[in-house]
Amino acid sequence: MKQYLDLFTEQRLALDAHAPAMVNAWRDRAAASLAALGMPTRRDEDFRYTDVAAALRPDYGMNVGTAGVASLDAVAQEQVGSRYATVAQVGDDPLVALNTMLTQDVVVVHARRGEQLRRHLRLNNPQRQGVPMMAHRRVLIVADEDSRLCVGIDDVAQGTAADVPMLTTLVVEVVARRGSTVELYECERTDACNRRFANVCADIEEGAHFIHAAMTLSPGTTRNRLRVRLLGEGAECHLQGCAVEYASQHVDSNTLIEHLAPRCTSRQLYRYVLDEAAQGAFAGRIYVAHGAVGTDSVETNANLVCTPEARMWTQPMLEIYADDVRCSHGATVGQLSADALFYMQQRGLSADEARTLLKQAFAAYVVESIPDSVTRERYAALLNQHFAAQAVACRTCQRCK
Amino acid sequence: MLEIRNLHATVADKEILRGIDLTVRDGEIHALMGQNGAGKSTLSNVLVGHPAYTVTEGTVTYNGQDLLAMSPDERSHAGLFLSFQQPVEIPGVNMNVFLRAAVNARRKSMGLEPMDSPSFLRMVKERRQLVGLDSKLANRSVNEGFSGGERKRSEIFQMAMLEPSFCILDETDSGLDVDALRIVAEGFNKLRKPDTSAIVITHYQRLLDYIRPDVVHVLRGGRIVRTGGPQLAAEIEQKGFDWIKDDVQP
Repeated sequence: MKQYLDLFTEQRLALDAHAPAMVNAWRDRAAASLAALGMPTRRDEDFRYTDVAAALRPDYGMNVGTAGVASLDAVAQEQVGSRYATVAQVGDDPLVALNTMLTQDVVVVHARRGEQLRRHLRLNNPQRQGVPMMAHRRVLIVADEDSRLCVGIDDVAQGTAADVPMLTTLVVEVVARRGSTVELYECERTDACNRRFANVCADIEEGAHFIHAAMTLSPGTTRNRLRVRLLGEGAECHLQGCAVEYASQHVDSNTLIEHLAPRCTSRQLYRYVLDEAAQGAFAGRIYVAHGAVGTDSVETNANLVCTPEARMWTQPMLEIYADDVRCSHGATVGQLSADALFYMQQRGLSADEARTLLKQAFAAYVVESIPDSVTRERYAALLNQHFAAQAVACRTCQRCK
Repeated sequence: MLEIRNLHATVADKEILRGIDLTVRDGEIHALMGQNGAGKSTLSNVLVGHPAYTVTEGTVTYNGQDLLAMSPDERSHAGLFLSFQQPVEIPGVNMNVFLRAAVNARRKSMGLEPMDSPSFLRMVKERRQLVGLDSKLANRSVNEGFSGGERKRSEIFQMAMLEPSFCILDETDSGLDVDALRIVAEGFNKLRKPDTSAIVITHYQRLLDYIRPDVVHVLRGGRIVRTGGPQLAAEIEQKGFDWIKDDVQP
């Protein structure tokens, strides 16, 4: 951790010069928190499935780029800027602290009261490789009362230079005020040398809806942390995730949904397809506070483990302090159905084609549940493309033949 | 022509088939009857290459090719089709996507280009009507949520799409009501080319009223114990199996 604190001290002026005051104001507090929290280890409950320390060990260098919130007017900056670092708090999570300390890129999305932003905002993060790199990105989304907005974040690796490590951290803060709807979609299509640590923190007020879906295709090491606080009566969140992994890729989804008000609803659907020696983890905790009566929560994690070498850890958790709640969780870990494979082969599909079709169908189930039709179709096409490319790679590879 | 010689097969180390000899010439329909556990389904599974079954002795050739050396998909490309007794559900795999992959895999094996979308959909519509399969079912996941009868119709619909030269119908009549049975059987007859052969496994004469067999075999203890003409099925319908003496001495 010291290397990052030293880097911060060295680069402080350059970082500040490129960022607005609301971001710089938090850097010292973040550094202090990071020093106090220390490097997360696998002994920490929240980090037991991902070796963050190992991922942070390489020297990624520091590229200070431009940042800013130029598109915001002064009034909005005052209104919205005050929420910066209040939803994702530096004292809670060392990765949030690290990101807040070194943030280079800030995007602020703000929908004013009643505003219905029909067009999607898509944030593309092309990752050029060749030299070791790190990027600390930040998104602040504020949806005022009765507004609606949709944001997509795409992490795409460009080029395939192997063994050049890349570290990206991302913190997304979401404030969904009364009656608003926020949709946030993340798609990662990177490669083995990429380490991605994302923290999405959302405060959902009375009657507001938060929809989140993450699709992870061919990552390196990824940890996606989601923390949602349902703060007002009737707030809802729908979280979905699917990961398709090969080789020794690693995806860890860690969710915490806090039901802090009566009659809130939460849904979680996570599916993993693990091939070769891939690793997956899902730890989903649902916390129902005193007084959160009428809570309705469902958590589902289903996993397809296609080889004896692949590993899946799943840990659904319920922590309930209120009466009169409806909470359920379920997790399954299974293999491809031998009967289905044989049936498909009997109809003329090769064993590889049959396996691909089954895996794709398993993952597509999550994509089909995405409410936004534009994103749903785009993700379905990307998933299709991914499996088609994998099938081609499979035909030319000799590993299992 | 399918030629089975002295076929022995085991499942989970238990010997089920104990020396089957059977020749089905092009265009012939053979009915296979016998009590539960006689080995009828095992025979059909062995013919299409189910990995749970192990052939311990004997040979099977189809049109001169060694069937047992072929993978299940190669057997399918060679023209073998099994209408499963209990077709599996394949959640999430759309019937049309699946069938298109199957039709194109077959075409590829014959050196043909993949079928384009409009021609494929035309074919689906035409063949679907032939077996009276609801259009909704063709757009759903394979067999998911299908009733027993719908699954059997779906099997024959798939057969219609793949145009096999050798069909094995494993209790296709079970789960079908009288009207559905007639529609499915008539569909089969319409689809059949003069040189299409079939093995029809059934417990009842009813199916054989529609799909008329040339030869009827009775299977017991993993061997064919009696072979006769269509009248043998009628006799079994009346008298059961117990009267049949073992024609084959061990």
